[in-house]
Amino acid sequence: MDLFLQQTVNAFALGGTYALLALGLAVVFSIMGLINFAHGELMTIAGYTLMYCGLAGISFVFAVPLALLASMLAAVLMERIAFRPVRNSSGATMLVTSFAVAMILQVLFQNFISVRSQAVNIPDVISGSILIGGMVIGTNKLLAIVSTIVMLVLLDRFLSKQKYGIAMRAAAEDFAVARLMGIRANTVIAGAFAISGLLAGVAAILWVSQRASVDPLMGFTPVLKAFIAAILGGLGSLRGAVAGGFLLGFIEIYLAAFLPAELQEFRDPIGLGIVVLVLVMRPNGLLPAASLKAEKV
Amino acid sequence: MNKVIVAGAALAVAMTGTTFADTLKIGVATSQTGGLATYDGPVIEGLKLGVDEINAAGGIGGTLIIELVQKDVRSDAAQTAIAAQELVDEGAKVLILPCDADPALAAISVVSSAEVPAISTCASSPTLPMIGGDYMFANFPGDNVQATVSAQWAYDQGLETAYIVYSPDSQYTSMPLYFADVMQALGGEVIGKDTYTLGQQDFSAIATRIANMDPQPDVVMTSAYEPDFPSFIKALRAAGVTSQVIGSDGIDSPTTFAIGAAADQLVFTTAGHPTENSSMAAFDAKYEATYGKESQTVFNAIGYDLAKVIEAASLAAGPDADSKALRDAIANLENVQGATSLITYKGTNGMPVREVTLIGVTNGERKLIGQPSPNPAIIPAPRMQ
Repeated sequence: MDLFLQQTVNAFALGGTYALLALGLAVVFSIMGLINFAHGELMTIAGYTLMYCGLAGISFVFAVPLALLASMLAAVLMERIAFRPVRNSSGATMLVTSFAVAMILQVLFQNFISVRSQAVNIPDVISGSILIGGMVIGTNKLLAIVSTIVMLVLLDRFLSKQKYGIAMRAAAEDFAVARLMGIRANTVIAGAFAISGLLAGVAAILWVSQRASVDPLMGFTPVLKAFIAAILGGLGSLRGAVAGGFLLGFIEIYLAAFLPAELQEFRDPIGLGIVVLVLVMRPNGLLPAASLKAEKV
Repeated sequence: MNKVIVAGAALAVAMTGTTFADTLKIGVATSQTGGLATYDGPVIEGLKLGVDEINAAGGIGGTLIIELVQKDVRSDAAQTAIAAQELVDEGAKVLILPCDADPALAAISVVSSAEVPAISTCASSPTLPMIGGDYMFANFPGDNVQATVSAQWAYDQGLETAYIVYSPDSQYTSMPLYFADVMQALGGEVIGKDTYTLGQQDFSAIATRIANMDPQPDVVMTSAYEPDFPSFIKALRAAGVTSQVIGSDGIDSPTTFAIGAAADQLVFTTAGHPTENSSMAAFDAKYEATYGKESQTVFNAIGYDLAKVIEAASLAAGPDADSKALRDAIANLENVQGATSLITYKGTNGMPVREVTLIGVTNGERKLIGQPSPNPAIIPAPRMQ
């Protein structure tokens, strides 16, 4: 039972990180119809900010807000420089643009920072663990769970109570009509990117604190997981992204924890098989966006 | 008309220049970008240092200048095969292939059909020359030899129960299977196994499983490398596992020494250590003088070894040797003094005999544990993963 509870905590922590990542993709997709594959590079930028702060002797407490700021800023710049010129193009054009942005950034990191992994100093407190009710729980697991909850609550309040949040929801519902109502497209889209940058930053801090290093290609795996989670939850739906993230985290951890040893090698295919099964039953995802017109063919 | 004559004359000069200059062309098809750049990058730095030193002294044997032709293979297997073919077409007599056995193996057909000897920068899988055939060589202590050294050490420390964490995704990351074999041969016990995926971020499920074992394993062995390894050991320690952790050469990297408390008392095998007055200490001094920074990983010295091996082979085969003769010369090398150790290819299938070094991490510092010779009787045979 203990083992099960502990693995559940692990699943919540991993699922929470995936949820934040998927949410970052979904926020932009719901408004622009763009799946931003350069989302992972926003994480890398946050990671490098942490690394440079460590080198400059800035304490982790101050490095964290700086890293969040860096990834938000990078997200807004990304939109301004790369995505605004192709905003009205087809989905494929935007998708390819995002791949290009990701690759260009990776090459820049490799050439101007280092091809090698760089160590990031993580305070020992975060690497430690505490005892709760007889269970040893890593502090970074707790951190992941707490920051996921905080981010989800904040985002929910922002979207339901704030003027910009409501404008963004309106834009997600029907961009053309929202613009007719006087909502500025540029502001809403820049806002969406800033939020996705913030979410990428938080996820990056959780991710980097686990691996204590940052490298130019670091963003690939998380954005892939985020993409799977976002599809699983229902593209364009924010609640769906969160649900998809948690479901993916639970699938991965429970398979790694409870699959018999001889089947462990096939953990990933089995995990993705479950994802496919879910999509066969719910082709539009767990909680599809109301505006998504996709149909089962 | 005049212009044509001048151009023709220039062309003739250029052609005689290339035809008669004594150069040995080495094709370097390695990863300047991508996941393997972490290893290939430092090896090539060391290789260049060695080549520049040889060329500054007038070339191999004072006459044969080494020319390096580089192509980035982006850590990609298909690209490695393409680059190898291009380099062979450009007249390379020796090829340098990427660090990991899997991309290096992608170039097999090119290497064997062109009959050009190829050396992987730092692949350590003993299966590489086995599958690669006569023209494929490695430049690192084999996985099975490394695992023999670390298992013997663990057993001698009284650590008799082992848990291994390996990945079937690459030859190298299955090294713990050799460790398990040796442990059992010595009389120890393997009480559990786990697999992971390359690039796996989250090791909490595995860590929790190990933490809930009773009794705890004495030693946990993995050949995960960055970025997987730091995640793994941090998750393991955070779950409360205090067992000895043993790793391998892939974590001979600055990030390992920066992990902090979680990596304290970690032990791993690698290819060398700069003991006082050793060839590696001399290399490290040269490296610092050339690049203006300290050498941070053994992979720099491994690159210098490559230059020395090729120099020795070329000296043995003579300046006019073709690639086939060079291959035979490499295969017959004995006790070549490299930066990390003495290197012998004679009597092997292409997996060199080299020293294995055991390193311990104490407070983020590298400490030499020993450079024991493995017992040949218990070195497991190469296995295909």
